Amino acid sequence: MAADHHFCCQGCKQVYLLLNENNLCNYYDLDKTPGLKARGNFVSGRFGYLDDEATMLKLIQFQSDEQINVTFSVPQMHCSSCIYLLENLHRIEPGVKQSQVNFQQKEVFVIFDPRETSLRKVVELLAFIGYEPYISLKDAVTKKAPAFNRRQIYKIGVAGFCFSNIMMLSFPEYFSSGNIEEPGLKTAFTWINVALSVPVLFFSASAIFISAWKGLRQHLLNIDAPIALAIMVTFVRSYYEIISGHGAGYLDSGTGIVFFMLIGRWFQNKTYDSFSFDRDYRSYFPLGVSVIEGKIEKNIPVTQLQRSDRIIIRHEEMVPADAILMKGTANIDYSFVSGENAPVEKQKGELIYAGGKQMGSAIELEIIKEVSRSYITQLWNNDIFKGNKNEDRSYIHPWSKYFTIVLLSIAVGTLIFWSFFDPSKILPAVTAVLIVACPCSLLLSATFTYGNMLRIFGRNKLFLKNAAVIEGLAKINTIIFDKTGTITHTNAAVISYEGIPLTGDELAIIKTVAQQSAHPLSKIIAASMPASPEKLLTLTQFKEYTGKGLEAVVGDIPVKMGSANFIQADHEFVTHDTGTSVHVVLGKKHAGKFIVQNQYRQGITEMVHNLKQDGNELFVLSGDNDSEHANLKKIFGINTTINFNQSPQQKLDFIKKLQLDGKQVLMIGDGLNDAGALMQSQVGFSVSENSARFSPASDAILDGSRVLLLDKFISYAKAGKKIVTASFILSILYNIVGLSFAIQGILSPMIAAILMPASSISIVLFVSLLSSYTAKQKGL
Amino acid sequence: MSALFVLIGISILVAGSFLAAFLWSVSNGQFDDDYTPSIRMLFDDNPKKKTSTPPSSKNNTNQ
Amino acid sequence: MQVEKFYYDNRIVNNFAFATIVWGAVGMLVGLWIALQLVFPQLNITQYGSFGRLRPLHTNAVIFAFVGNGIFMGVYYSLQRLCKARMFSDKLSNIHFWGWQLIIVAAAITLPIGLTQGAEYAELIWPIDLAITIIWVVFGWNMFGTIIKRREKHLYVAIWFYIATFVTVAVLHIVRSGQLPYSWLQSYSWYSGVQDALVQWWYGHNAVAFFLTTPYLGLMYYFLPKAANRPVYSYKLSIIHFWSLIFLYIWAGPHHLLYTALPNWAQSLGIVFSVMLIFPSWGGMINGLLTLRGAWDRVRDDVILKFMVVAVTAYGMATFEGPMLSLKSVSAVSHYTDWIIAHVHVGALGWNGMLTFGVLYWLIPRIFKTDLYSKKLASNHFWLATLGILFYTIPMYWAGIQQSLMWKQFTEAGQLKYTFLETVTYMRPFYAMRSLGGTLYLTGVFIMFYNIYKTVKKGKLVANEEAEAAPLVKEYVKHTGEHWHRVIERKPVQFMIFSLVVILIGGIIEIVPTFMIKSNVPTISSVTPYTPLELQGRDIYVREGCYTCHSQMIRPFRSETERYGEYSKAGEFIYDKPFQWGSKRTGPDLAREGVGILKKTDGWHFRHFREPSSMSEGSIMPSYPFLLTQNLDTSLTIAKINAMRSLGVPYEKGYENFANSELMTQANSIRINLKIEGIEVPANREVIALIAYIQRLGKDISKNKTATFNK
Repeated sequence: MAADHHFCCQGCKQVYLLLNENNLCNYYDLDKTPGLKARGNFVSGRFGYLDDEATMLKLIQFQSDEQINVTFSVPQMHCSSCIYLLENLHRIEPGVKQSQVNFQQKEVFVIFDPRETSLRKVVELLAFIGYEPYISLKDAVTKKAPAFNRRQIYKIGVAGFCFSNIMMLSFPEYFSSGNIEEPGLKTAFTWINVALSVPVLFFSASAIFISAWKGLRQHLLNIDAPIALAIMVTFVRSYYEIISGHGAGYLDSGTGIVFFMLIGRWFQNKTYDSFSFDRDYRSYFPLGVSVIEGKIEKNIPVTQLQRSDRIIIRHEEMVPADAILMKGTANIDYSFVSGENAPVEKQKGELIYAGGKQMGSAIELEIIKEVSRSYITQLWNNDIFKGNKNEDRSYIHPWSKYFTIVLLSIAVGTLIFWSFFDPSKILPAVTAVLIVACPCSLLLSATFTYGNMLRIFGRNKLFLKNAAVIEGLAKINTIIFDKTGTITHTNAAVISYEGIPLTGDELAIIKTVAQQSAHPLSKIIAASMPASPEKLLTLTQFKEYTGKGLEAVVGDIPVKMGSANFIQADHEFVTHDTGTSVHVVLGKKHAGKFIVQNQYRQGITEMVHNLKQDGNELFVLSGDNDSEHANLKKIFGINTTINFNQSPQQKLDFIKKLQLDGKQVLMIGDGLNDAGALMQSQVGFSVSENSARFSPASDAILDGSRVLLLDKFISYAKAGKKIVTASFILSILYNIVGLSFAIQGILSPMIAAILMPASSISIVLFVSLLSSYTAKQKGL
Repeated sequence: MSALFVLIGISILVAGSFLAAFLWSVSNGQFDDDYTPSIRMLFDDNPKKKTSTPPSSKNNTNQ
Repeated sequence: MQVEKFYYDNRIVNNFAFATIVWGAVGMLVGLWIALQLVFPQLNITQYGSFGRLRPLHTNAVIFAFVGNGIFMGVYYSLQRLCKARMFSDKLSNIHFWGWQLIIVAAAITLPIGLTQGAEYAELIWPIDLAITIIWVVFGWNMFGTIIKRREKHLYVAIWFYIATFVTVAVLHIVRSGQLPYSWLQSYSWYSGVQDALVQWWYGHNAVAFFLTTPYLGLMYYFLPKAANRPVYSYKLSIIHFWSLIFLYIWAGPHHLLYTALPNWAQSLGIVFSVMLIFPSWGGMINGLLTLRGAWDRVRDDVILKFMVVAVTAYGMATFEGPMLSLKSVSAVSHYTDWIIAHVHVGALGWNGMLTFGVLYWLIPRIFKTDLYSKKLASNHFWLATLGILFYTIPMYWAGIQQSLMWKQFTEAGQLKYTFLETVTYMRPFYAMRSLGGTLYLTGVFIMFYNIYKTVKKGKLVANEEAEAAPLVKEYVKHTGEHWHRVIERKPVQFMIFSLVVILIGGIIEIVPTFMIKSNVPTISSVTPYTPLELQGRDIYVREGCYTCHSQMIRPFRSETERYGEYSKAGEFIYDKPFQWGSKRTGPDLAREGVGILKKTDGWHFRHFREPSSMSEGSIMPSYPFLLTQNLDTSLTIAKINAMRSLGVPYEKGYENFANSELMTQANSIRINLKIEGIEVPANREVIALIAYIQRLGKDISKNKTATFNK
């Protein structure tokens, strides 16, 4: 039974027993490391707001008397065991009728019977077994769009089917060099081809025509225009030839073009299902909150919060709006907002900003601003958040605007030429030119290059919103870093000690005292101490002054630990702190202080060096105090501007200013306070220690462990542009070959049929191989 | 080669029906998730507790 | 709407598994026997045991009995579990099982007594064809029923392969079985000559594709991950694999007819699509093998995985070789030789055989709730089987190529270097080696038989395996704002169906009238219908399965025209129902046996049929003494003539009435020829008819050399 398993905590054991009684135990056999960590902090009342009718309606997809459908996002799922457990919920909670996992989306779709259980119960169950659903205001406010466009798949399917059949029915024509003995057969083939080509022209190709038409309406020839033209001409001429009965037409080439184009677009629209690039504050904020009216506590959606409402915030809960602390002592972790990991103590009457997380006992607050008016959330009233930058589009190499013109002038040239020499050739020649010169291979070259690069970036844990970001990245010449989380680790700190050297016993004493406190700093200090041989010493007295420090007596030695002014009360000494420091008084003497500092990522210096080498201008904008100034100077060198205590708005404006001087800015930050900057910059990377966790709106999500590849990323993006150019030249060569036939008006369907796939496929191979190879070269 | 007409007609018919099947399966969302099913099929769905002998009439065990 | 408890039907799985093993053993035993007959012709005991009749028995038994039951075993096991539902109806399951076994028994009886349609893998006579159709429908009904009432929304890729199998095999079978019966047991093919050939290999190739490949790919995608307990390498790839395979396979048929009288472009078409096939096929193989990436250590000590790995590898080899063989230059060498035999056995023994064994070893202990009786024996089986495959294929590859080269070899003087007989005697030791390989493989099967028997004894069949799953609940989706684009989503489907209908109408309008024209192959004026006696003789030729060793299709190579005479023209075969081009030359080609250098006297043929080796030293052809004693059944002559006429053979009206008298006059003339050569035999013996047919072969176009041929 439970005996032969080892559990990290009581929670895990309970989960085991729960699974065991529902004999789901092969959960433990499925994977070497079943992801079972009952996130202990399972407080009932925490999900109270889910009982609120209004809140429920926002979450659930369908409701009837006997069935409720709801989809939860469960970022914790990571292995087959998770799928097993989540899909067997109905065995643990009979009220659940069906639960289906989509692993890539990290979602679980649940159908439950409201008569037997409730949304809240289901969520609590999930939380208990370690898969707390991620429910946020955002999910409720905006329902997310379907995962991917099925219509595109239809079109590919139809085009693929028709293309392969038309091809197969056209071969006889070629192999028999046009004279199939059997009379009926040839006509049969051509007419079946016509039938097959219709859906391709009107359904599969529709998108191309539409975009071309839109372009024309705005009086500009986008790249789709010549393609649309080519397709049109190909089909019309083919139909004409077939109907008038002097040829089999170019239907195989025509459908082929469409098919390859669609494949190209599909390939390029690589999306990362489990990420969302358009998060705003609402993604962080709780959906509901407990409000006190008179004596009774009830749950309301945060959107309904009014000024001067009294709210309760429990351990690990987030403050949804700027508020004044009324009861209890707050110990606020602003890491979501500033990326800063050390919590701040707040006293009764102090202002607490929205986005802070309470660590410790429940507190009572009074709202002073509605959610949307709060300090951090105002940022989103800025209109940069209205527009949608780096929108996905089909790529246009600078040259291809000329392409259309050149193409047309060649066509005209041919027309003029033949009208002088042999008017009968005008039509075949001109149409042939338009057919051959179809820039589909030009387009494929870009789409496949960027598509492949997206995948390679993804392999290196840089997840780009779309291929347009690559183009943006290639132009970058200015890079702005946020300190915490980007160039330093978010959740790792180095601790150093200054003062009179401490003996083993003294260390043991300090450890003992530190262990008594739940305060993060105490925890860090305690952890940094060597496990003392003679176990915990007896501690006769202990008192914690929240926000100040600790006082205790170990054995007979009085110990005091805490902030400078807490100590200074009875010990006179000068202090100039860099970083956060905890002073220690052993007996009567001030022994020294522990300094908790951010830990910088290894090899940051050489990355900075490389970036400068490549001629980028670097800046550092940090939200917190300038304690790290010295270290940063060491890393970035004197001539780099480093600003501290930057408000989100300041960061944003700073970038605006740079852009006015025509700088191409790349912003790298984590934390909500960078959101504005990330949005304002040409390209914004948000760094996340764990990709499943949440990051502000950005063009790309970069895994913390890969920040140091930044220089490589940028130079690879630049290389990508070169590859595209190279492939453009290649495909233009193909066009020249084709045109040489075309202008003479001797383009046989055979040649067209060979040229079209030959060019497309070889281009695709060329760019895919080259881009992969370059990636290797760059060490990606 | 009159037989060829039959063969091609039928082949296209078959291929066409498969295309229809393909379109159905896409619209049905069969391929929305192209990973989880490969894991799901590994699980056995053996029941909760050791239970009694199977009923005599097997046909209605489905209902 | 509670979690439902239901029971998987394991008995039906058990039945099919048992049938698989038994028929497998039988089919391979026959295979071994006919292999030995090629070494020791005297093993052709009685007419019922002669090579020509047993070879179809072997192929049918192995394909439809062994592999067939294997498919059903795997489908009935996996489909239930993938759908989380018991089979739709136990009644249908049982009808399917017993019906299929009955069909096999019927085949095992009719083939040896010489009832055949004379088309490879489609030998079974029309009543059996009918039965197959019915049982196949039962199978489909049962399968779709289960799919419809499934409890799991997603159709796992394996199910798609099963569906494809059902649909396509049904269509293939029906088209190929296009026959006009002239008696309760016999019939003539609708199609004739070149067209019959085209239909035959369109069928033949796709039978391989959709009976031996797609269902087994389905099984691979289910049982390989199960056995390895790890998901398939890339599920996405498997989906792409399926759809691309489906769209390509159906076209590849004509590559079986390269250099034949089939129009060139049709041949080229076959080549192109066969070559394209390599991509989806290898996609599947790679997906299968990569599933075991990082688990090769487990393969080392898990015999089941060993079987499956070899199976998948064999699949890869066969599907690589296939496209190669369909290249003209390769086909020029390989066609008609034992190379092809080796190729198909890599597929059959390697891919189908090994996978079946793997599945059996995995599945039997599960449905009997016990462990395999002996892992040791199983791994012995594995090694025997693997060695068997090697001993079988290597000699065949080698010898096949050698023989083909000998056929093509000329002396400096420009004469053919070897007589056909010399090449046959060269083959014999290799045939012997091949039999050894077969023996090893078969021994393995018997070991498995014992091992599984012991396992079954040790456990107890869980006839109804308990399971539970939530019913499939309708997933309503909120339609707010989403509605409009759902409508569009549906559109393409309707649109496609519409345009499909258009295609069909167009197709039919083209097909029907042209198909009414009996044959639009430019006829060679001198080609005339068979005389009644020749027709009877031809039916004997078909009955004895001569086409299993003798081709009737001379390809346009000097080496062949030198040996057999002028190359074959499409126009020559318009009265051949069924066509008898054959696919293998264990014996020489007979297309011009009645004319030119090959012409022999009636007496020679008589003696040769009585005892081949008496006429050609070292011949491995069976002797046909019974033809000399059996009377020709002329009771059906009229029916045959009528049937032929309604199939477009220009026998003028009322001819059938004096057909038999004409038959006798021709028979008498042959009797007289034989008398001259000192052979006394009544005119009403079968041998007379057969001689008449053989002497007719190739005569037509030699009648007037000036006949104009189409290019």
